[in-house]
Amino acid sequence: MMTQRNETHEGLHRAADKASDALGGMVGRASANSAGSTSAAAFAENAAIGDMYEIAAGKLALQHARSDAVKAAALKMIQDHTTSTQQLRSAMTMNETKGIPALPDAIDARRKTMLDHLQAAPADKFDATYLDQQILAHKETVDLMTGFRDRGDNAQLRSFAAGTAPVVQRHLKHMESLKAQLA
Amino acid sequence: MSFNPLTERGIPIERQFRSWSELASQPYDTRDVHPYTRCRVIVMNGIEVEAIINSHNAARRIADTGVKQMLALVRKAEQQQQKAVNWLIPGHESTIANTIGYEQVAVDLTGWLARHEPDPYLKQVYEFGILEDYDHLYRYANLMDLMGERRKAEEITGDLTEILPGRPTIFHHRHPHDELRRPMTVEASDFQSILNAITIVSAEQQTMNYYMNVGNRPENPMARSLYLEIAMVEEQHVSHYESILDPTTPELLNLALHEYNECWLYWSCMVTETDPRIKQIWETHLAMELEHLRLACEMMKEVDGIDPAAVFPKNGVSKPMTFEPNKDYLRDVLARTLDNTASDSQFVPVDQLAADHRFFDYQATVNAGGVPSEMVIQRHREEFGEEYRFATDGAHPIPSLKESGTAEGTDYFRTIERHMENA
Repeated sequence: MMTQRNETHEGLHRAADKASDALGGMVGRASANSAGSTSAAAFAENAAIGDMYEIAAGKLALQHARSDAVKAAALKMIQDHTTSTQQLRSAMTMNETKGIPALPDAIDARRKTMLDHLQAAPADKFDATYLDQQILAHKETVDLMTGFRDRGDNAQLRSFAAGTAPVVQRHLKHMESLKAQLA
Repeated sequence: MSFNPLTERGIPIERQFRSWSELASQPYDTRDVHPYTRCRVIVMNGIEVEAIINSHNAARRIADTGVKQMLALVRKAEQQQQKAVNWLIPGHESTIANTIGYEQVAVDLTGWLARHEPDPYLKQVYEFGILEDYDHLYRYANLMDLMGERRKAEEITGDLTEILPGRPTIFHHRHPHDELRRPMTVEASDFQSILNAITIVSAEQQTMNYYMNVGNRPENPMARSLYLEIAMVEEQHVSHYESILDPTTPELLNLALHEYNECWLYWSCMVTETDPRIKQIWETHLAMELEHLRLACEMMKEVDGIDPAAVFPKNGVSKPMTFEPNKDYLRDVLARTLDNTASDSQFVPVDQLAADHRFFDYQATVNAGGVPSEMVIQRHREEFGEEYRFATDGAHPIPSLKESGTAEGTDYFRTIERHMENA
C-alpha cells in the first residue's frame, strides 16, 4: 500500500516525466519547423522515427489503457502510422528520392524516453499520460508534415507529406477531443 | 526511331467527324487475325474509353464554359474513334474468346511496361500485377473448354504467350487498403513512367468494366461465378495502378498528358501493326490525336499558364509500346515474386505478414464456401482428365505449380492454413 510519502514521491516523478515530455515536445517542434521542414534527409528521418514512436506507444496503450475510447484511438494510430511507414519506405525506393540517406531502423533517445515514461505511468494515470504525449507528438508531426509539404526540397517527399498531413491533423484533433472528454 | 507529337500537324478538329458508314469498320476475322492485332484493338479501345471517362470527369468539375466546350468537342471525336476501334471486334468472336484476348493484352502489355519502367518501385508495382493477370488467363483458358468453345485458348493467343498458373487467383483477394501504392510526381518522375501509368490504368479499367458488364451474360454457372470473382480482382488492379498516378496533377495538364499518351500509343500501333487495313486506322487516329493534343496544350497554357515545353520531353518519345512475347521475363518474375502479397504500399512475402494482418480475415470471408477460380480447374480435370495449359518453354518454374494449378500444394496456401490453425 502506498504511503503518503510514497504517493508524494510518485507524484513528483510523474510531474518530472510530464515536464520532460513537454520539453522534448518543444525541442521536437523546433526541429520540425527548421531542418525538418526543408531538408529531405532531416524530414525522412524525423517522419520515420515519429511513426515508430506512434506504433510503439499505441501497442502500450492497447495493453494498459483503461478507456475503450483510448484503446480505439491507439488501434487507429497503429494502423495509420503503419500505413505512413509503408508509404515512406516505398517513397525511399523511388528514383525521385535517390541520394537521400536510408531511413533509421531505431527510435531516437527523445522518443525512447517518452515511451519509458508511458510504460512507467501508474495504471490510473496511463490514459492521461498517453493522451498528453499524443497531443505533443502530433503537434510536432503536424508541423513536420505541413512544413515539408510547403517548403521541402524533394518533390516525392513533399507528395508524401501532402498525403500524410491531413491524417495527422485529424489525429491531433481527435486526441485533443478525447483529452477534453476524459478530463 | 523517334516521334514528337508536339511538332507534327494533325487533322483540324472540324474535319474529324465521320458518318455512320465510315465508323462501322470492317471487323477482323477472329480465326485469321494476328493475336497482337487483336491486342492492339483491345488496348486502344481501352485508351479511348479512358479518354472519354476522363473528359466527362473533368467536365463535371470545371465551371469554365470555354473549357467545357473544348472538352465536349474533343470528346465527340474520341467517342467516334472508340466506335471505329471497338467495332473491329467481330460479333462471331465469343465473349470468352475475347476475354482470352483481354488477358493476353494484360500479360504482354504489362510485361512491356514493366521492362521499360525506369523507376524501381513502379517496376515492382507492374511485376506484382502481372502475375495475377497471368493466372486469370490460365483460369479463363480452362473455362473456355468447359463452355464448349470449339477452339483452344492457344488458338487465340498463338504461341506468343504461355498459358500457365501465375499467383493463384484465390490469393488475390485483399483488403482494399492493401491496393493503395505510392504515387509518382509529375514534377520529378521520368516521363516514361507517366506514359506507362496512364496506359495501364486505361487497360485495367477497361477489363474491369468488361467483366462487370458481361460476366452475367453466360448461363453456365461456372462461367458466371468465375467472371464475378475475377472482376473483383480487376477492380483491385484499377485501384493498384491508379494509385501510382500523381493525384495533384491540375485538370488541364492531366488532359494534355492523356492526349500525349494517346499520340504515343497510336504511333506505337502504327509502326508495329502487321495488318495494312488496320494500320491505316491507327494512322488516321494518330492524326486526330495530334490535334486533340494541340487543343489541350493551347487551353492548358491559356487557362493555367503551363507551358507544354516545360512538361513534355524536348525530343519526343523513341520507344514504341510493342506487343511481343514476355515468356522469359514472366518466368523470372514468377520465380522471384510468386509468394508476394501487398501490405499498404509495399510488396512482401505472404509468410512475413503479422498474424493479425487484415489479409487473413479478408481471405477467410470472401473464400468461404468455395472459390470459383479453384473450382474451374477441378471441373476441367473431372471433365477432360487433366487441366488445360499451354507451355512452350518447358515445365512450370515453380515446383508446387508444375503438375497442378490449384492452390493446396503451394507455400502460400500453407501460410494461410497455419494462420487459420493458430487463430
